Amino acid sequence: MGEEGKKSRPAPDPNSAKFKLGRIAAKAYTDAAEAKARGEMVGWCASNFPVEIPETLGLYVCYPENQAAGIAARGGGERMCSISEGEGYSNDICAYARISLAYMKAKEAPEQDMPLPDFVLCCNNICNCMIKWYENIAKELDIPMILIDIPFNPDYEVSDAQVEYIKAQFWDAIHQLEDYTGKKWSEERFREVMETSGRSSRAWIDATSQAKHIPSPFNGFDLLNHMAVMVTARGKEEAAEAMETLLKEYRENHEKGISTFRAEEKYRIMFEGIACWPWLRVTSQGLKSRGINMVTTIYADAFGYIYEDFDGMCRAYADVPNAMNLEHARDKRIRLCRDNHVEGILVHTNRSCKLWSGFMPEMSRQIGEACGIPVASFDGDQADPRNFSEAQYDTRVQGLMEIMEGNKGGAE
Amino acid sequence: MGRNELLAQLHEAAASPKRQLERYLAEGRKAVAVAPAYTPQEIVHSMGLVPMGVWGADMEISEAKKYYPAFICSIMQTILELGIRGEYKGVSAIIIPSLCDSLKTLGQNWKYAVKDIPFIPMTYPQNRKPDYGVKFTMAGYERVIRDLEAATGARFSKAALKESNRIYNEHNAVMRAFAEIAAEADITAAQRSDVFKSAWFMLPEEHTAVVRELNEELKRGPRAKGDRKVLVTGILADSPNLLRAFDENGIRIAADDVAHESRQYRTDVPNLDDPLEALARKFSAMDNCSLLYDRDKKRIDYIVEQARQHGAKGVIVLMTKFCDPEEFDYVPIKRACDAAGLISLNVEVDRQMVNYEQANTMLQALKEML
Repeated sequence: MGEEGKKSRPAPDPNSAKFKLGRIAAKAYTDAAEAKARGEMVGWCASNFPVEIPETLGLYVCYPENQAAGIAARGGGERMCSISEGEGYSNDICAYARISLAYMKAKEAPEQDMPLPDFVLCCNNICNCMIKWYENIAKELDIPMILIDIPFNPDYEVSDAQVEYIKAQFWDAIHQLEDYTGKKWSEERFREVMETSGRSSRAWIDATSQAKHIPSPFNGFDLLNHMAVMVTARGKEEAAEAMETLLKEYRENHEKGISTFRAEEKYRIMFEGIACWPWLRVTSQGLKSRGINMVTTIYADAFGYIYEDFDGMCRAYADVPNAMNLEHARDKRIRLCRDNHVEGILVHTNRSCKLWSGFMPEMSRQIGEACGIPVASFDGDQADPRNFSEAQYDTRVQGLMEIMEGNKGGAE
Repeated sequence: MGRNELLAQLHEAAASPKRQLERYLAEGRKAVAVAPAYTPQEIVHSMGLVPMGVWGADMEISEAKKYYPAFICSIMQTILELGIRGEYKGVSAIIIPSLCDSLKTLGQNWKYAVKDIPFIPMTYPQNRKPDYGVKFTMAGYERVIRDLEAATGARFSKAALKESNRIYNEHNAVMRAFAEIAAEADITAAQRSDVFKSAWFMLPEEHTAVVRELNEELKRGPRAKGDRKVLVTGILADSPNLLRAFDENGIRIAADDVAHESRQYRTDVPNLDDPLEALARKFSAMDNCSLLYDRDKKRIDYIVEQARQHGAKGVIVLMTKFCDPEEFDYVPIKRACDAAGLISLNVEVDRQMVNYEQANTMLQALKEML
């Protein structure tokens, strides 16, 4: 969905990773709609809910965060946010939540439809805002809500007490879903899902790490789109296969000296935060026009779920970016910056995300100091177009570029 | 002491937390700051330490801006601001729970912004009712105990906790009684607030003694005039200018669902053999709060029921700006009030707000409607 390839776009190659990944993302919606039409139950699922649970049980789920991002990217963010605000929801509330609550009321959005839920699966390892958002949906639609509470971990490592608490909730959630939907948990199926998820994760991590090459064989904005498959479908065979194709393509790109970043790569940055979906083209173009490639993001690391057993899975879900302390989150980013030869950091101060933005100034300062690279930030929003200023973005990116240029010894 | 002397004493404590802290420190005690909204104060108290509430202050923010973007609530921002400015100097540690996203970030920022006061995290479970949730709460308490021992040198004992649990239950009962008595007594909104606010800066046994005496005086004293009664809900309701608007418009607070006030005192520690488990069971029994997972939105029904029980004709939502847990609950609250024939009002409050003219205008309009 980036800028590249807009002009004289060739017919998509059905064997390309981009085609396969796009098809998986779209199929999730059609599968759910078809299941609903057949009379099967469909759930709404938080992005970092352990997807292994619905996948093993054979449940169809849709992802409201993914839907909200899609609606926002296609220009419907403000319209949907306004519907929620008309209901009395403050415009300070996360725009994904506002769009989702609006969809519950409107029941349709031309940008991205999905069936209304028969149950909701919530996990707050991304933020506590999820709990409030899903509470309101569950109450209003009078449907079951399953919450897997994964508290913010103030320590560097995940404690045994936390794993034990999470594990008990996983089983509780599984049993509640079995009772409600009539589906049955199968250890054999779980092992398959776990192995497939591991395959997808290894390929994803390996693919994103190809940015270690200079120039990078890909435009980092690709990751913002592809990660949707990692979030929602990594337990599916076709996702593992598509991720392996992505890895193969990136390796080939490197060997051939080509890249999906269709400009000369003069500078390499880490982008911090959720994409500014309503302004994706502007934010992407503002970088590309200056030869700035976003070579990495925490997403490169975040969705690699590699574990050996059920306990390992519980631990992995507690060890995700928005649930970990500043030091752990910082060190992961420092490693990404060093491995990928990052020269600057661009931080999206995201009005929708208090948790992600709430300690970002301090953390990004520390990363900048540790890596000896400049940090610039801009104000924006993941889905409400009203919270972004193109002029400010441009100024900040220009400033960042000038410092990076100075660091190369090219400043006047 | 008479009614006015008791109220003056509580007002002084409410208005001068720093003086209270200095007094306790001068007595040779150690103090521990406790952040919103819930922390195991019973544990702090049982270790011979003085829990001191920190809910920020009505002030300009400057230093905290280095850490926080503008859209984080001013309670967090001003707690950090006061910490950076050295206003909490003398406390041995701060306990910060992670019950909302902004609280999670407060703890992380604190470590770097206020390096001389150790941060002690308290991690509560949201699935707090099943036994596994109670066990996880206990693990959180055990960690707080270890950190408190390291920060203060004080020692924990279960026997002392049992006694502190009792003292806190007694305080709860006195505060619940006060809320009921104040609903009918001739007391201003500002005085009512002082009683709740002072509790954060006094040892519970001391506060219990004063409020118990005050309750008796209020029961004997004149009744409130007028029947413009409301229920107030929100995180905080302590701004003097806002409270003045209540008093000037003759609007009486018949009950509250304020996190800084009555939400603290609804649930007692049950009497169990193990006082630490008992304290965890208290948390598991807590409900009707925007920060605690509530699939059934029981808090909404609770607000309507409390308003009815107390003869309130309206519900005033004091909305702390940028508090998303409260913002999500507002829509169902408004709908429930409409359905129940209760007038509802959404009044935005903010620690940086000086001018409450808009709130005053809204309350004037409400006065006419009531």
